Amino acid sequence: MNTATTSDQEQIEQFLTTLRASLGPIALPEREEILREIDAHIHDSMELTGQSAATVIAKLGSPQQLAADYRDGALVRAASYSFSPMLLLRATLRIATKTLSGFIVFLFALTGYLTGISFLITAFLKPFFPDRTGVFVLDHHLYRIGIQNTLPPVPIHEVAGFWFVPASLVIASATLVLTTVVIRHFLRLSTTVQQKLDGYHPTFRTSQPSSPSR
Amino acid sequence: MAIKRSPGPPADQPDRWEAQLRKGALEMATLASLWRGRLYGLEIIRTLEAQSRLVLAEGTIYPILSRLKDEALLTSEWVEADAGHPRKYYSLTNEGRDRLRLMAAAWVDFSNGLDQLIQPILQPEEVLQ
Repeated sequence: MNTATTSDQEQIEQFLTTLRASLGPIALPEREEILREIDAHIHDSMELTGQSAATVIAKLGSPQQLAADYRDGALVRAASYSFSPMLLLRATLRIATKTLSGFIVFLFALTGYLTGISFLITAFLKPFFPDRTGVFVLDHHLYRIGIQNTLPPVPIHEVAGFWFVPASLVIASATLVLTTVVIRHFLRLSTTVQQKLDGYHPTFRTSQPSSPSR
Repeated sequence: MAIKRSPGPPADQPDRWEAQLRKGALEMATLASLWRGRLYGLEIIRTLEAQSRLVLAEGTIYPILSRLKDEALLTSEWVEADAGHPRKYYSLTNEGRDRLRLMAAAWVDFSNGLDQLIQPILQPEEVLQ
């Protein structure tokens, strides 16, 4: 740190500021730790080699690229431990563009969340439109569940009554929980898959102890 | 000669393939540099520079360390140093050691096989005769 001149210090500050800004979605404590480590790297490297801040920084690569490397996969990893529908949907959407299974899970997620939300909305609307909301039957057969624009014609009638409210709340929570669990499971699975795809996986199988080769 | 396209992501650019290869190897090399004990980022970079040609931008190593730590293959601790600022030291976890053993064995298997396959390619004159 002693070897850093004012101009060196400015360049380091500038690099770290750009890096901080580019790290965006990464959680604050993690972001600060990254900056601390890179800061230590720059000072150590300057002291060790006697090079200027500019040279040391140039060898690090661009702050944008560095941040992108950190961000890569961070979303999926973060989402796999999250309960936020937005985060989970964003993460599945990212995978959806890459693999078929990702696309299917994205559709599943969308359907699951929409179903859950629909049940929540109908449960909320039942007290306001009791005749037009609920489970409708025609000749002992299920006709429709949900909310009707107009009062349905006579043989069709609503059977659930106000039980519809707790029932659809239960269904809504169950659907939302199930959707969340499935997505998180898939995301965890896919981070493992990604790691394998990223690197050593193709060589990995050949080394299993049970391998009958040779 | 027809160029065969794999159904997956486009892998027809050699530099991209090399980048992927390097990326995969760098992960193993990073773990391997810690085999004998804990090191901080710059020491890892120096070790890799001295013993391989894998490091392009020095910055690439830090996100890899971060990811390996997330995968519980590494642990890290901040240690006060004479330099006046603490340094972040990394060491292998037991899981990391086990994984590295498997990776090293797989690497040797893989490269031995490939070496035989590509040996004629590296001596083009003989092939042409």
